Amino acid sequence: MKYGSNAAACVTLRPRGVCLFLALGLLYGATAKADATPREVIEQTADAVLAVLQDSTLTGEQKRQRIEDIASTRFDFDTVAKLVLARNWRQLSPEQQTRFKEEFRKHLSLTYGRNVDQYNNERAEVTGERPEAGGDWTVKTRIVRPQGGEPIRVDYRLRKFGEQWKVIDVIIEGTSLVANFRSQFQEIVSREGPEKLIQLLQEKNARGEPLGQGAGSKS
Amino acid sequence: MRPAFPLGGVARIGCVACLWFAVHICLGRGAALGQEYDPWQPFNRAMFAFNDALDTYALEPVAKAWDRIVPERVEQSIANLFQNVYTPIVAVNNLLQGKPRDAAEDVARFMANSTFGLVGLFDVASCWGLAKHDEDFGQTLAVWGVPAGPYLVLPFVGPSSPRDVVGYAVDSIATVYWFFADIRFTVGPQTIQVVNSRAQVLDAVRELKSASVDYYAAVRNAYVQRRARQIRDQQEGTGPDEDFYRIEE
Repeated sequence: MKYGSNAAACVTLRPRGVCLFLALGLLYGATAKADATPREVIEQTADAVLAVLQDSTLTGEQKRQRIEDIASTRFDFDTVAKLVLARNWRQLSPEQQTRFKEEFRKHLSLTYGRNVDQYNNERAEVTGERPEAGGDWTVKTRIVRPQGGEPIRVDYRLRKFGEQWKVIDVIIEGTSLVANFRSQFQEIVSREGPEKLIQLLQEKNARGEPLGQGAGSKS
Repeated sequence: MRPAFPLGGVARIGCVACLWFAVHICLGRGAALGQEYDPWQPFNRAMFAFNDALDTYALEPVAKAWDRIVPERVEQSIANLFQNVYTPIVAVNNLLQGKPRDAAEDVARFMANSTFGLVGLFDVASCWGLAKHDEDFGQTLAVWGVPAGPYLVLPFVGPSSPRDVVGYAVDSIATVYWFFADIRFTVGPQTIQVVNSRAQVLDAVRELKSASVDYYAAVRNAYVQRRARQIRDQQEGTGPDEDFYRIEE
């Protein structure tokens, strides 16, 4: 492990904006080879995403679009949606399940997709992998920021669907996104029912929540 | 972030609070991931709203101004400085957790950064391969088997738990004794630390706010996951338990 001059930033909380985006962005990408190992899946995708991000001929919107179009090839959104709702999943009618999946997916895409403009030459590298119980696989990566600061650890949990490994959770610095959303949604569903959750997601998506002007920093 | 803490009051309030907490901890139970134990939610949500308002109208604007003036590298150096000052406490906690090697490494880090690192502005120890550790007395209590108890949001301080309140108080008192300094002399630096730390996470906080449907629950879960991983020292394989990823069709 090589450190730069400004190595090892020491903050309790670290900027996660760009990282979250890269973490998810990593998954969006090029053609999926049918029999790729989980590690290869992540590596290929990382390369493909960086290619899109570094392509100066594309506008931010085009990058976002490209990312959106291929997101589904790397994520298994069905599984993510089921994991996020956990035991509440069965409370939803099939029609509600479909709407929930659509809105949740949109939410992820809106939230993280707009970070394309914040890309600042970060690189992703695979640092390890391990099998998980139940046949899943975890690929460990870290995002290195050339402008200094500690690398950000991002783990991907993959599951095999037919011949293809797909990502079912992203764990950033040890914090599982599925767990985080599950906690939020559990609260809403148990208090106000699944319809309320879908409605909240819809409202949030409709607002689109554009990036605040002048917000943010130099990163 | 370790904001200022009035010590005299803490001791007194602490005793009463500990008793009250003790009762609740006994009633507490381990929370599965994704469903934190939060019986004090009405109180917590009120405190959370208070903190959020305080942040929105006071801390964040100040931190934004700070961030515009202070270059990123300087922010990092300031963070390093405070981190370095806190290193002896980390070393003691490592000892208390039965990790003398880590404690020795902390002492070496402290010596290296305090001298060659110009009182800690530069983290030369990390460049030399001395690993940084993230320990506090809350984690030590956890290692000793003290349960966290219910989730608790404190005004000004933020997400916590009865166990972490005790840990936080002990660390704060220890830090002040370490300085041999009166609270009057530590308020200034601590204010800088709070503003500086906040400035470093401007984007991250904005991101979390916009990415969450229930900001309160998102922060709560992030806090619980973060503490769990700090306690197990970032080790793998002990993340979300396996049932977590099982789908019931």
